[in-house]
Amino acid sequence: MNGLDARMRAAHEVGDGPALVALYQEAAETAQSDMACGFFLTHAFVHALESGDARADDLKARLRGMGRI
Amino acid sequence: MTTDLSTVIRPIASAHGLPNAHYTDPGVHAEERAALLFDEWAGLAVAADVPEPGDARPVEFLGVPLLLLRGRDDVVRVFHNICRHRGMILVSEPRRIEGAIRCPYHSWCYAHDGRLVATPHVGGPGMNTHAGIDRDALGLVEVPSHIWRDVIFVNLNGNAAPFEEAHADLLDRWREFDSPHHHGGADSRFTLDVNTNWKLAVENYCESYHLPWVHPGLNSYSRLEDHYHIEAPGRYSGQGTYVYRQIRGEDGAVFPDFPVLSQKWDAGAEYIALYPNVLLGAQRDHAFAIILEPRGLDRTVEHVHLYYASPETDEALRAQNTAQWKLVFEEDVSVVEGMQKGRHTPGFDGGRFSPVMDGPTHLFHAWVAGKIAAHRQRAVAAE
Ligand code: FES
Ligand SMILES: [Fe+2]
Repeated sequence: MNGLDARMRAAHEVGDGPALVALYQEAAETAQSDMACGFFLTHAFVHALESGDARADDLKARLRGMGRI
Repeated sequence: MTTDLSTVIRPIASAHGLPNAHYTDPGVHAEERAALLFDEWAGLAVAADVPEPGDARPVEFLGVPLLLLRGRDDVVRVFHNICRHRGMILVSEPRRIEGAIRCPYHSWCYAHDGRLVATPHVGGPGMNTHAGIDRDALGLVEVPSHIWRDVIFVNLNGNAAPFEEAHADLLDRWREFDSPHHHGGADSRFTLDVNTNWKLAVENYCESYHLPWVHPGLNSYSRLEDHYHIEAPGRYSGQGTYVYRQIRGEDGAVFPDFPVLSQKWDAGAEYIALYPNVLLGAQRDHAFAIILEPRGLDRTVEHVHLYYASPETDEALRAQNTAQWKLVFEEDVSVVEGMQKGRHTPGFDGGRFSPVMDGPTHLFHAWVAGKIAAHRQRAVAAE
């Protein structure tokens, strides 16, 4: 996972919302199952929502397309 | 415990003050919390506490965790500061909400206006909806609130008449001051932490009898006979003066007046205790609001805020004004703390009033007595 775990932990540590959005999106791209993908996109979406990040809309649309929201 | 209030509601010449238990008994305090504070429009904070859109500030009112939130629509709302999921405290420090409020527990998210906007994994991992969870019905619980003279009033039990109706006559009385009041900022707010029951701060504020003794500095220009009583039974009471003098800087500069005031206010000023817990001052060139925050039976935090007619006022003059009022309000501390101590004297009969000078204070006691009696009656009827 290319140190993704470590980067996520670091971003959580400092509460870097925009970074978390990107990192969870990255995790979603390489997820092994539909459920795992939905799981990571959900986190990307929540962090985008919380930080007022414009990516929230796309993430929401994507989750909706998957029947997950 | 119940208290005998029959002597309190007598005409002032033969009336007694409230019995000791209203200042010392936890049971009576609990009754008053419900009947005098939660059933009424109580002062909670000021809108200047959340100056910018997205500002969120947690506040506690008699143990109830509340959240002040200025939405991106610039509307100030008051919510219960808990998540609709497991009742977790949502916001524990004042901060700016950039997007949504995320609950620190399972990350349910609420919008700036309280709507529930995300329920992550509520239907299982990666599944963010469930038929049993209707997001539209699970927004933050809003507490009825009303802002007047920048004070945020709340009716926690949601059972009071609308604020404008309940206080129509005071709104009318001070209609001339309906122009913008600008908070003076950080130098125009202070708090006093006082070891007294909140009611004693009201009782002291609304009478002028003590002025020449407790505030001797006022004697040179403001004598007892320059004051009149303000008495609105069941709603508010206080005092007015005919000899208000504007504060002046070294160079003689004064604060700008509020626009379009009638002559009455050239040298007139009024000081009113709006029941239950807000003390207000209206003057031609500045105003103040004191919110009495009861922290317990015998502890009150007084939150003092000063307001001006213009957003730009002279900093030095503002500081001088704050210092002057602080001195006056500090002079009252020893008497309200002394009366609180005095309430532990067994057999004290509540005290007697000056039939001429204590009208506003007696009115407040009569209001308390009436509200408590009605509350007890309802409790009996509900049994
Ligand atoms: S308590 Fe808030 S999300 Fe669970
Ligand atoms: Fe005083």
